Amino acid sequence: MKSLLRSYGRGLTALFVVAVLAWALVLILLPQLTMLERALVSPKRSLDSSLALTLRRDAATCINVLQGYLDPAPEAAPQTLAVPSPGGMAVPSMGGMAVPSMGGATATGALRPYILQCDRADTHKRLVSDPERTLYLDEVFSLPRLAVRETDPIPKQIETAAQLQTIGADLYTRLLAEEATRSPYTLANFGTLLAPRLIPIPEDRRAAEAASIENRLYTLVGARYQADGQIYERIGLTILLRTLAFAVAVTVLALFVCYPIAYRVALASRPEQVVWLMLGLIIPYAIVELMRIYAWTTIIDNQGVINSILIWLGAITEPIPFNRYPATVFAVIAYTYVLFMVFPMLNVMSTLDRNQIEAARDLGARTWRVHTRIVIPHAKPGIAVGCIATFMLAAGAFSVPRIISRGLQSEWFSQTIYNKFFESENSNAGAAYSLAYTFICFGIVAAFMYATRTRLKDFAQVNR
Amino acid sequence: MRGKDVVLSRVGITYPNGFTAVHPTDVTVKAGEFFSILGPSGCGKTTILRAVSGFVQPTEGRVLIGGEDQAGKPPNQRPTALIFQNLALFPLMSVRENVAFGLEARGMPRRQREARADELLSLVALADQAAKKPTELSGGQRQRVAIARALAVEPAVLLLDEPLSALDLKLRQHMRAELRAIQREVGVTFIYITHDQSEALTMSDRIAVMNAGRIEQVGTGDEVYANPASAFAASFVGEVNTLPGKVDAVADGHVRVATALGGLTCRNPQSLAPGADCLLFVRPEALLPVVGPAPNRIETRLLRRDLEGPFVSLHLQSVAGGVPLVMQQPNRGGIEAQDGMMAVAFDPAEALALPPGALARTGVEEAA
Repeated sequence: MKSLLRSYGRGLTALFVVAVLAWALVLILLPQLTMLERALVSPKRSLDSSLALTLRRDAATCINVLQGYLDPAPEAAPQTLAVPSPGGMAVPSMGGMAVPSMGGATATGALRPYILQCDRADTHKRLVSDPERTLYLDEVFSLPRLAVRETDPIPKQIETAAQLQTIGADLYTRLLAEEATRSPYTLANFGTLLAPRLIPIPEDRRAAEAASIENRLYTLVGARYQADGQIYERIGLTILLRTLAFAVAVTVLALFVCYPIAYRVALASRPEQVVWLMLGLIIPYAIVELMRIYAWTTIIDNQGVINSILIWLGAITEPIPFNRYPATVFAVIAYTYVLFMVFPMLNVMSTLDRNQIEAARDLGARTWRVHTRIVIPHAKPGIAVGCIATFMLAAGAFSVPRIISRGLQSEWFSQTIYNKFFESENSNAGAAYSLAYTFICFGIVAAFMYATRTRLKDFAQVNR
Repeated sequence: MRGKDVVLSRVGITYPNGFTAVHPTDVTVKAGEFFSILGPSGCGKTTILRAVSGFVQPTEGRVLIGGEDQAGKPPNQRPTALIFQNLALFPLMSVRENVAFGLEARGMPRRQREARADELLSLVALADQAAKKPTELSGGQRQRVAIARALAVEPAVLLLDEPLSALDLKLRQHMRAELRAIQREVGVTFIYITHDQSEALTMSDRIAVMNAGRIEQVGTGDEVYANPASAFAASFVGEVNTLPGKVDAVADGHVRVATALGGLTCRNPQSLAPGADCLLFVRPEALLPVVGPAPNRIETRLLRRDLEGPFVSLHLQSVAGGVPLVMQQPNRGGIEAQDGMMAVAFDPAEALALPPGALARTGVEEAA
């Protein structure tokens, strides 16, 4: 701080400090804290109070719609069918799909067509706050078991609906007050990461499925199991493990590709060659990342370059579906982030005195020993930084798996997080997932640094 | 350990860009000899060393070590060890590991090679520093580690590329003696590259003076100093006053040269004929102050007196021709100029005339 004051004076130093604080607060601390809060709070719609609110609203809508059927002109009624209940849409109905049947009006002898909201106006609703257990609203909160029955006369239905509306409203007020006093924090969002899903697999294909290495590994770590004659998989966990494994593999691949390149550029080339090698490395990165990835799709598509050439040569008759192979995603990610591996290594390697390599060779060391004893120990900080950067980028890769796989293969965890936020609109689970992911990646990086004895000060040396 | 002889037979080295670093050269280094290659930077001496160690392949000629042709052999298969100018110690390894590295590369088991490393470290008086990292040692200690590391592989020839240049003067003088002692003890052939003529003179059995890719003279230090074979050798090894002139008369090994200072007599080792252009070389310590008449008497003006410690350097200018001269005198006092004037003379046997040729550039010229 003192040296800052001396070099920049009071005004600039103050500006600098303010900028750093603002950066730390706005870009690091606040987002993480909001994430943390979101991750620890149940989604609103899974709260029991929101179920009570839905009941009230559904009943109200039901009454409204039923009013139309009291009138002598029932033809006007079906228009109201499409009225969505404002609170209702978001609630996935637990018992079967609540698809409104547009046509079948009075086939069952009912006095009115099917009305979604009337169907849902029922105290026997399953609670969603605890996905592990099957609990019902009426049983938990000791409500009368009451439902609007299609077969009742319309006025009776309206009366029931009115009762339900009152019950819902009362319960809502009560639960809201209760929830306000109770701590809202829960780890349930993190728990959904481990939630098992039934995987429907026909009996005859189970053995083949179970034999795959991936599934065997999942079984080994308990991410896949058999219960009640059905296969269950903890999908969140399997995707997480798969993504991490791929990210590690991408890092290893990038390391093996980049080490010779970095060595060549830094230590084994004449200056005029280095210029060309560097250009070759940098030019692809002057192209927007998305363009680079799209370029790959033109190569690997069914009508892409590789398939066209292979078909033209007569090597294959059907195109190879590269989009379906994880290896493709894998290779493209490695390509996309290779430079983040090359440059830290290059920077460190170029500080190695070439005389040391010559001295080692002169003392009788063969190429392998020169690398293991001289070059790699020297380049270790750069290798570690490159590995960390590549791993983090690969683990967070989103555009590559999305563009390359186009849904034709299992998603990456980054896509799962995206889908939680923006597709299934469960930002609380999304926050929990992304936080968990952040900490897991952090842990892996920390373990890696410990294992390779990389210290934080080594990062500073990379650009020395 | 036994040294082997090194023979360079018509070795020439031309780089791919067309630059000829070494013109075809014949040199024989005797087994167990301390041989120095002395020359200014860029003269090709390091290239010769690299050709012997195998980092550079000669474009012509052959390198023989112990009578064996080394063509096509990589550095790790030659009986040589190279000590680099910057030593190139491995900074991430301990001193012991550094010394044991060559043995490690030869597959010697850990216990054995470490014992050997410790032995070598005690040879260079560093047994107590074995566990330290090279950066924790002083310059002289690092030097000795480099020597021990090179000796560990039991080379027949040790190649040293100006290893003392990074040290300060005191340490350098001390290390000269130490290197010489180690060389005597181990009996390995040393080929020592340097641009420092006093280093070459103090340590070497024989010296090769090299300039612009050519070896101009090979001989013992005394020979090279007293009887330089070329203008370059005369001007590079030791300080010298160079007086251009023309041969006037020749008589029984001596020659009379007409210079800007008048006629001066000196030896004529290369039998210059009358009328030939020549350079007359006279060492500063050969010039003596005189009072009476003397051969080769020169009237001078004293410009400056530099105290060097054990001796003084007197910078003079001749009255005739205004030629600058330097002379050195033991620092005993009493040599004071009369009104800034001084008469000096030299023994004709202590000066010689050589045909004109390239001269070593002096520090003054380099600075200019």
